Amino acid sequence: MVHANRHNPMLPYLGRLVEVKDLATEIKLFRVELLNGGREAFANYRPGQFAFVSAFGVGEAPFGIASTPHRTPMLEFAVNRLGAVTTGLHELGAGDVVGVRRPMGNAFPMEAFKGKNLIVLGGGIGGAPLRPVIQTVLDHRADYGHFTILWAARRPSLLVFTDEYDEWRAAPDTDVHLTVDEPDATWDHNVGLITELLEKVAPSPESAITITCGPPVMIHFVGKVLQPLGFTPEKNYVTLEARMHCGIGKCGRCNLGDKLICVDGPVFSMAQVGALLESFL
Amino acid sequence: MNAMPREELAHWLDRLAGGKTLIAPRDVDGVLLYRPVTSSAEVVWDFTRPVMSIKDAFIPATERLLMIEKTGQQIRLIETLAEGEQVIFGVRPCDARGMKVLDALFLDTEPVDPYYARRRENTTLIGLACRELGPTCFCTTLGIALDDPRDVDVMLTEVEGGYAVQIVTAKGDALLKEARGWGLDVEPQIPDRSDLSTQQPVISDLRSLDWPPYFNDEYWDRLAERCLSCRICAYVCPACRCFDVRDEAMPSNNGHNQYERIRCWDSCAGVNYRRIAGGHNPRPTKGQRLRNRFFCKFYYYPQQYGPVACTGCGRCIDACPENIDITEVLAHVGQAGGSSHNR
Amino acid sequence: MYEPKIIGYLCTWCSYTGADTAGTARLKYPSNLRVVRVPCSGRVSPELIMRTFDQGAEGVLVLGCHIGECHYDTGNHRAAKRLPILQKLMEFAGLEPERLRLDWVSASEGDRFARIVNEFTEAVRAQGPCQWTMISRRLPVIRHPLSAISELDSALGGQPARITDHGSLFTDSIRAKARELLSTGQVECVIGYEVGPRGRTRPAFVYQPDDVERLVWNRACTHNLTAYLREKLYATKPGTPRKRVAVVVKPCDSRAINVLLAEQQFLREQVHVIGLACEGIVEGAGFEPVSEGQLQARCARCIDRMPVVYDTLIGEPPEVGQVSNLSHDLAQLEAMTPAERAGFWLSQFDRCIRCNACRQVCPMCNCPTCLYERDDSLWAGMGIEPSEKRTFHLGRAYHLAGRCVGCNECERVCPMKIPISLLNRKLAKEVEAAFGHRAGGAPMPSPFVTILSGEEVRP
Repeated sequence: MVHANRHNPMLPYLGRLVEVKDLATEIKLFRVELLNGGREAFANYRPGQFAFVSAFGVGEAPFGIASTPHRTPMLEFAVNRLGAVTTGLHELGAGDVVGVRRPMGNAFPMEAFKGKNLIVLGGGIGGAPLRPVIQTVLDHRADYGHFTILWAARRPSLLVFTDEYDEWRAAPDTDVHLTVDEPDATWDHNVGLITELLEKVAPSPESAITITCGPPVMIHFVGKVLQPLGFTPEKNYVTLEARMHCGIGKCGRCNLGDKLICVDGPVFSMAQVGALLESFL
Repeated sequence: MNAMPREELAHWLDRLAGGKTLIAPRDVDGVLLYRPVTSSAEVVWDFTRPVMSIKDAFIPATERLLMIEKTGQQIRLIETLAEGEQVIFGVRPCDARGMKVLDALFLDTEPVDPYYARRRENTTLIGLACRELGPTCFCTTLGIALDDPRDVDVMLTEVEGGYAVQIVTAKGDALLKEARGWGLDVEPQIPDRSDLSTQQPVISDLRSLDWPPYFNDEYWDRLAERCLSCRICAYVCPACRCFDVRDEAMPSNNGHNQYERIRCWDSCAGVNYRRIAGGHNPRPTKGQRLRNRFFCKFYYYPQQYGPVACTGCGRCIDACPENIDITEVLAHVGQAGGSSHNR
Repeated sequence: MYEPKIIGYLCTWCSYTGADTAGTARLKYPSNLRVVRVPCSGRVSPELIMRTFDQGAEGVLVLGCHIGECHYDTGNHRAAKRLPILQKLMEFAGLEPERLRLDWVSASEGDRFARIVNEFTEAVRAQGPCQWTMISRRLPVIRHPLSAISELDSALGGQPARITDHGSLFTDSIRAKARELLSTGQVECVIGYEVGPRGRTRPAFVYQPDDVERLVWNRACTHNLTAYLREKLYATKPGTPRKRVAVVVKPCDSRAINVLLAEQQFLREQVHVIGLACEGIVEGAGFEPVSEGQLQARCARCIDRMPVVYDTLIGEPPEVGQVSNLSHDLAQLEAMTPAERAGFWLSQFDRCIRCNACRQVCPMCNCPTCLYERDDSLWAGMGIEPSEKRTFHLGRAYHLAGRCVGCNECERVCPMKIPISLLNRKLAKEVEAAFGHRAGGAPMPSPFVTILSGEEVRP
């Protein structure tokens, strides 16, 4: 993605936190109102892209953008508190200022997905970059075929966007399946790994595309289960993550073989991933 | 042949040091490094190559990207690009080539890195041809001649009576005009070039090496057993550039909390290079990390950006405490048949 | 008048209450002191104190309960042991000893509290503004007065290595032993030395009996191979079968095995130690294709010529010859003023490129994430500022106090020739003086990390 403007790619735009709300245990949703030129930079970001968010004084880290520009002028990020930057972000509240750099990476080829049956598989915080895919499909429902959402987490308290299930279920020709590894007393949906759920649902590969995001080991095993279900690797899309420090292809850190996750990805088809020398695991 | 005597060269360097930052090979407590000098008296004239490359003048080991001022909920960001001109004297062809290798990434690939670009713009390179290959040098394998002028602005070659001065670029021309303006007697010329064919390359054609079949070779694990996962090889290398970015606190200023966002050198050989928060590390073994290092230099970087990310300077060979030798690696991958070996 | 910034770490049970008592009694003491309340003086770690100075404190006062009165029984024992050694280290690095004080104040001793704070503030004030971080911000190129240090070392210690060629005898013995151990399956790997294509000696890992011809012994076998033991042997998952390796060690390396055993990095039965008698290693070993020459300075100083732990012993005790007491460089530094020492060390650390080779090569440095490499820069930043680098080196030296066996590999591997072992040698001296302990004599933890025993002098 070539940016014509000469804005320093390491200089963040400022954004004010409009809302910080709990999504799940140790996971918060941040809604950011962009200031000082950021709005132009983020006018047309697409599902699958990510951005570096700064907790000033601590550092910055990449987060999948969990919103779509056609639904909201705010940027939304889901942040799982795990390390220094995410802890720094979790300590902020509405009114605080964060930094956001630019939409980074490639995006899901939503155009190529038109007319296809889509199966989205989200594991834990991996659901966040898939949410804009879901929103895009729901907002242009007629452009896409049957829509299946498999949503999973280790425990019910780790599921994200639970208050949006109703909207998803209400959409025509759309199925939502939930599963957790460790249920609690109130859980009355499927119990088991997302791969087991996938085998149970057994979607048809006919004119279908899968989109998976979650921990590396989950992506790996989903790929393995899709094979006997008849999904050839080029039908399966994933979005990968890695430790990153620049997001613009300079710091060299996020390479998978000769591909950089920040520039050539984070969206790849499993065929592309399989062709790489290096494993993402 | 109108050679520039050393005294004249020293005089020129003294004048340069007066107006810009002059970086030259200098003895720093017994270690030869490219460092700022205030006069030609500090310059070391006879050397193979300093321990570190000139990379530090373009991607400093630590570089401030921004200043961050926090007052209550207000944030002010101040971009901090480098100011001031630099001249680097005594640049060996291998070091100069290193900058061209890095240009392919930082300048020729969008987005342009403004910090690197500014320093590159503000710096003039005065090259110094080598007289002979050092014991660990293999620049000729990379197609670099000992007196290769291509990557510097002015090239000096030692000849009888002093130095032959060759203008290579417009920047070099401007530097020489300035020197003549100071009354220095400089007659630019192109000296006889060294005969590359007399130098023995390690591998005849790096481009003929086929790396992918060696990806799953046991060789990497065996090689890496003695690796310390330190970062010496990447830090001394003219063509390595991986960096880390972090915010760090500075003393507060009149009620404003101040931080700087800095970037610092890092290396894929380091243990936690790819470790993500939460603990997962996709390259947990030394063999995987070392393999990445060599694949990146000779396979990934050229695929992505064009040049091989090695200039044959041999610093990594000299500096590795456990004798992990890049020329042994190239010899291994250059074997006919390309199969797994135990060594 | 110069007003120093002083931070006081006061334990909540005794000294903080003592401060309160002073307040209630309206006793006067200077307001320079900013108090940080901690649960116990034992919590005040050396990293915390160094960070406090790095961030601009000019005096640090640590107050705890009297020995025997600690709320946690022995928390203050830790302070009593750790802080005096830290003080010696920081003094050696150029911080005036008057700027760091450890003392004991009970809850009722308001007057004692006031007196100590008064005394300390005056003592710090008398030193003038603290140069600890100020020098570094200027980043000058400091010409230190000890540039002759390496010349001094080699002048005294530069005995040529003996030409007694035990090399080939030892080589044969090592190969024979390796062949035996590998072919009988007693070990899965022998870690020894080989000579590479450029003639440089380097570590070798041999897995097959047919491969033992790679193994050699020569006067360039400088590497401390015990640095590789932990990664080969440390069992992270209970129930995984324990691996067994053989390792070739010199006397200094063998002491490292004892330290690693004391710290439970692996079990004794996991290592077959092939110990060698040693007459010393030559300069240039590991980097140059040498086989003879001047003795390394650490070998000229060495008092161990036989390994202290072994399963196989190769060689007879050598004629010790002249053991040079090469502590002249230490003595020279100790004789300087704090400001001169500060200047010396900052000029050394100015060259440091933070490659971490010194840490990586050390057998004892094996924290999964180094304290000084944390992502949140808690104890030191990641930048190239000499004072940041100094914090890393001082902190690392401190963590090695009582554990460093003096193999000097840290200094050998440094690409910038920083005389880093001076810090370790200084601390080894102090720990030996204070606790009678020398690292690696036996597989027991050093008294430096335990609580005060009955015999130890109460500070």
